[in-house]
Amino acid sequence: MEKIAITGLGIISPSGIDKRVFWANIKAGRSAVEKIDRFDASLYPSRIAGQVKELDAYSSVSSRLLKKIDLFSHMALVASELCIQDAKINLAQENLKRVGIFMGNAIGGWLYAETELRDMYLEGREGVSPFMASAWFPAAPQGQISINYGIKGFSKTIVADRASSLMAIGYAARTIIRGKCDFILAGGMEAPVTPYALLCCNTSGMLTENNGRPHSAYRPFDKNRDGLAIAEGAGVLSLEPQLRVKAREGVHVYANIIGYGTSTDAVNRIEPSADGQQLARAIKIALDDAGLRPQDIDYICADGAATQIGDATETKAIKDAFGEYAKKVIVSAPKSIYGNMLGASGVLDVITTVLAMEHDMVPPTINFETPDPSCDLNYCFNKAQEKVVKNAMIINRGRGGINCVLIVQKP
Amino acid sequence: MNAQTDIESKLKAIFKKVLDIKETEIVPGSKLDESLGIDSTEMVEISVVIKKELGIVLKDGELKKTFSFNDIVAILKTK
Repeated sequence: MEKIAITGLGIISPSGIDKRVFWANIKAGRSAVEKIDRFDASLYPSRIAGQVKELDAYSSVSSRLLKKIDLFSHMALVASELCIQDAKINLAQENLKRVGIFMGNAIGGWLYAETELRDMYLEGREGVSPFMASAWFPAAPQGQISINYGIKGFSKTIVADRASSLMAIGYAARTIIRGKCDFILAGGMEAPVTPYALLCCNTSGMLTENNGRPHSAYRPFDKNRDGLAIAEGAGVLSLEPQLRVKAREGVHVYANIIGYGTSTDAVNRIEPSADGQQLARAIKIALDDAGLRPQDIDYICADGAATQIGDATETKAIKDAFGEYAKKVIVSAPKSIYGNMLGASGVLDVITTVLAMEHDMVPPTINFETPDPSCDLNYCFNKAQEKVVKNAMIINRGRGGINCVLIVQKP
Repeated sequence: MNAQTDIESKLKAIFKKVLDIKETEIVPGSKLDESLGIDSTEMVEISVVIKKELGIVLKDGELKKTFSFNDIVAILKTK
């Protein structure tokens, strides 16, 4: 595929909002997963998460608007502003009908929704805030970003469980290639640390219950893993075509998106297919799209669900697609550091990967203690490794058998 | 304080609370959507708070964002 440049980043994460702080925490493998402290989660099987601190310190959203939007929109607005500043884009000089917004989200604005549902049952119909109408739905952040900047171009919100934002980024890159937008703000946001959303995540059976050790609970590819820890956050990238990048002064290209592939398992509504064949196919589609061979990939930023079947089938798919090179390529799941942001996990994976490229350093999967015979790739465990990363692959998967693969290249 | 002033001052307090604005931002004779950027959901919220705090029941859609502050005072005075 034609190369699409990543020219700006906006990060809202439990590991930091400032990109230097974020990278320092990722590089050090410093866990940000902790006991949930904003409501009483003591009766939940899984009661730990990555929680965002300091959002207000970076926010210029008015208190009047904050009453009308959910936390996931607030995070998306702040991430967008940070991204636009980072990319040095002056929207006043842009044709806003040619600017797009592509965001991914899995569950919607549940803090707002569950609060109003409670009020409906306690107080009746009139107890529900009229702002509920526009606060809860997955496309609400896209709308808020468009209103905030007057952006009027072709835009979409992708809902594909944990693959949502990676899919939004892939779709956005394709949209630029088709000539529909001059540039696109692409990424995702998720705010699952709420009583009802946490309950739904718990019943999926995918969450770790290692509550006594929050910092080391999320341990992809370890034999004693028992699931993922959820996290809240948002990430936004500015995506621009090469001609525009060349014409713009002072633009910094973090990396180029060069390949994209998706597939679906068509097997189970929660778990991935046991044979990993469709994920392997998505990997091959992305490699073909990028015009690369397996041996050209220097690093794989893995989905790292930390479930038995998730890790084993991801490993199997990488083996199937990479052949003899599978045991050489370095694999890690740095989201083990701050938690799994569900629909926003993909954009954070892309951000982590392009920062890894900038720093010639592979970020670690933390909390590894015990090898698992079913996970026998060249994982980067516990400590970051110095390595020049030219081409990297990011893998995201979602319930319902969703597979999504993106390939980025150092400029 | 007479009844008319009382309704005005209470409505101003409701506007301040719902919209997070200062009293000086309220221009009594101007359309609310133009002067304060009020949208339809904020208009519904104002109706709900009027019922809760003033005990005045308004029909759905009775208050419109194209009304002025004075228009709403006049409606409340008929209730």
